[in-house]
Amino acid sequence: MTAPTTERDSVLPTPREHLTSEVTRAATRIQNTVLRATRDILRDAGFTEVLAPVIGPVTDPGIRGSKQVDVDFYGNRYRLMTSAILYKQASLLAFDKMFCIASNVRQEPMETASTSRHLAEFHQIDVEIAGASRDEAMGVAESILREAVSRVVSESADDLAALGRDLAAFGWLAEGEFARMTHAEAVRRLHDAGHGQSADAEIDWRGEALISELTGSPFFITDYPKGSRGFYDRESTSTPGVLRNFDLIAAEGFGELASGGEREHDYRAIITRMRETGENPAKYGWYLQLAREGIPASAGFGIGVERLVRFIAGLESAWQASAYPKLPGVVSP
Amino acid sequence: MTRLTAPDFPAQAVRDRARRGTACAFPDTGEYGLTVHGQCPGQADDPLDACRLVPPVFMPLRMEKLIDLGREPLYTDVDLRTDIGGFSSALPLSLSAFGSTQVASTDLGLAVAAQAGKLGVPMVIGENVVPVNGYGRQGGAAERCLLGRLHAYADAAPDGLGGVVIQQSTEDADAEVWNLVYSDPSAQAMLDSGRLGFELKAGQGAKPGLGGLTVLSRQAAAQVADQFALDEVFGETAGQVLRIASPGTLTQEILRQQIRLMRNNFPRARVWVKLHPGRDIADAARTAWQAGADAVTVDGAEGGTGWAPAAFLDHVGLPLAECLSRIGAPGGCLLAGGRMWEGARVSKALALGASAAAIGRAALLAADEDPEHGLIRLAECLALELRMMISALGKYAPGDLDAADVWSPDIAARACGDDAFGSETERNEVTA
Repeated sequence: MTAPTTERDSVLPTPREHLTSEVTRAATRIQNTVLRATRDILRDAGFTEVLAPVIGPVTDPGIRGSKQVDVDFYGNRYRLMTSAILYKQASLLAFDKMFCIASNVRQEPMETASTSRHLAEFHQIDVEIAGASRDEAMGVAESILREAVSRVVSESADDLAALGRDLAAFGWLAEGEFARMTHAEAVRRLHDAGHGQSADAEIDWRGEALISELTGSPFFITDYPKGSRGFYDRESTSTPGVLRNFDLIAAEGFGELASGGEREHDYRAIITRMRETGENPAKYGWYLQLAREGIPASAGFGIGVERLVRFIAGLESAWQASAYPKLPGVVSP
Repeated sequence: MTRLTAPDFPAQAVRDRARRGTACAFPDTGEYGLTVHGQCPGQADDPLDACRLVPPVFMPLRMEKLIDLGREPLYTDVDLRTDIGGFSSALPLSLSAFGSTQVASTDLGLAVAAQAGKLGVPMVIGENVVPVNGYGRQGGAAERCLLGRLHAYADAAPDGLGGVVIQQSTEDADAEVWNLVYSDPSAQAMLDSGRLGFELKAGQGAKPGLGGLTVLSRQAAAQVADQFALDEVFGETAGQVLRIASPGTLTQEILRQQIRLMRNNFPRARVWVKLHPGRDIADAARTAWQAGADAVTVDGAEGGTGWAPAAFLDHVGLPLAECLSRIGAPGGCLLAGGRMWEGARVSKALALGASAAAIGRAALLAADEDPEHGLIRLAECLALELRMMISALGKYAPGDLDAADVWSPDIAARACGDDAFGSETERNEVTA
């Protein structure tokens, strides 16, 4: 029954083919513009860039079905970061507004190799704002997306043209704020479209692509149910069971670009939510100690860099936006 | 062979079945015509064993079967195939987790896995197997590790039957057992065929309210010292220490959300929950089903274990029969565990609401008796008894059994109406 890990060349081009491809070059230049635009807009808004750690004793457990990579750190089990969330909250002790462009590794379930959206190694624009509400965080996420697209349209027009990206896809730049719908509303729309989405769970991969295809403009989904996300997304005090979080969904079927929300910061709430997500609090020692002593209330989000570039460049798959792509279960350099 | 012992269990009878199979359903043929047989002494100590299966005189379902077959039905016409927690099973049986305790982590784990696969019944692989014995992806002792058991099962299982359920407890969360299996290439075949599940272990029958306890050599203990707490209960000069674990704190909301998170994170896997025989068992089981659990296993206080304090074995937890009574009409698939090894006890548990019986010690003993065929013979004998009993009750499928098929001395002792296994109204609900 052993199903060996898929060989690279059955799915991906060779490193030489990939690195010398005009698509890779154009995508990489667009990525440069995106990161420049992101850093500019965040620095202008008073954010400090912090270099995120690559390893630590614990990392973000709230990633559906994906395995963390263990690292032997002088005989201690450390993990490669799946996201910077714990360090983002901690960094607010130093700066009220911080961001990082962080590497993440997640051994995603094999089925995600065919979603066109999942990479086992990827980068994230991670933002955290002390004392902010969900609305403020959503505003910052929207401004990054608008700025990144505007700058690419003006500074990387040749690359977009080379990739055949129709600028009409960005007509929404001239329109008002991104639309918002609750998770419950998204579930209703998916049911109307004939998709059997669970009301208690994350929008599944197929549902995410479907709902993204229904619109020509990026939009937000808010209020995910508890049980669909990690312990750090804050539970509503007025509507228990609903999280004060959001996803930013791209148009045209490109799917989720970012996840974020208000954070649990109260020690007791964090411990309770850890148990509700099946975590063993003992391994979060350093983080819980900080929480016990007090960490700021905050809101923030993470935008997947390769997904963002894929969307802007109109690429078929997220791996085309990475110079050294790692697909779930696929052995590649 | 380890010559496993099980002092409080009918070990010799199980070994006999593992050797001789269905012949053991009957008295020794050498005694035929020379001996008379009666009820075994001591059975009345256990409320479930004290119950009797009570065939009626009038059998409308036998009439239906007669019409269906066009001839008088026999016990061989009983179809034992059962849906268990999202899997198709050849028998109303599931193999309980053995965990990492020493008796189970030798060759027995593999022997049981291969035979369970061949039988086409679901098998649970225990908590702590990964942290203690390894996963087997990068050279762990393959015969003991989780992957070894998974492969042994999958290689033997008939197409479309059975399933492997991987347990994770609170301590296992550190090893990310479920994430590991769900994302592993070699587990994909089971996932693709819908035969992979995950079991949230909330407790066990032999030591309700306590977490896992295993006895480790000092050397083995040192290797897991950063993952588990150790207690010097045997004295500081002893060669062994007790490894102790927490069962994990549950509230109703924590149980509900953990199950929802399992469904969210592992949409292609089945979700099982194992509960200890707590006094709020009905509430806990209902919470699990409502949150979407595909199966709930209730492990009665008669349940086995590799290690437990004697005081717990003798004095803590509800008997299985009382658990089934408190649960009443189940809100989903219910598995009943605790001293299961032969057809009568299994039939009674099925009649009292369970969809299947979970067997633990008996499977280990049977594989210990004969690593290649012991469990299969034990199951064949149990299946024969089940067919005979179910047909004697005028029924031809395990799911047709209901509370009316069981008589309890407890019921007889009380006034009629609100008996130990539910009122007449509730019984009717069970059958509805």
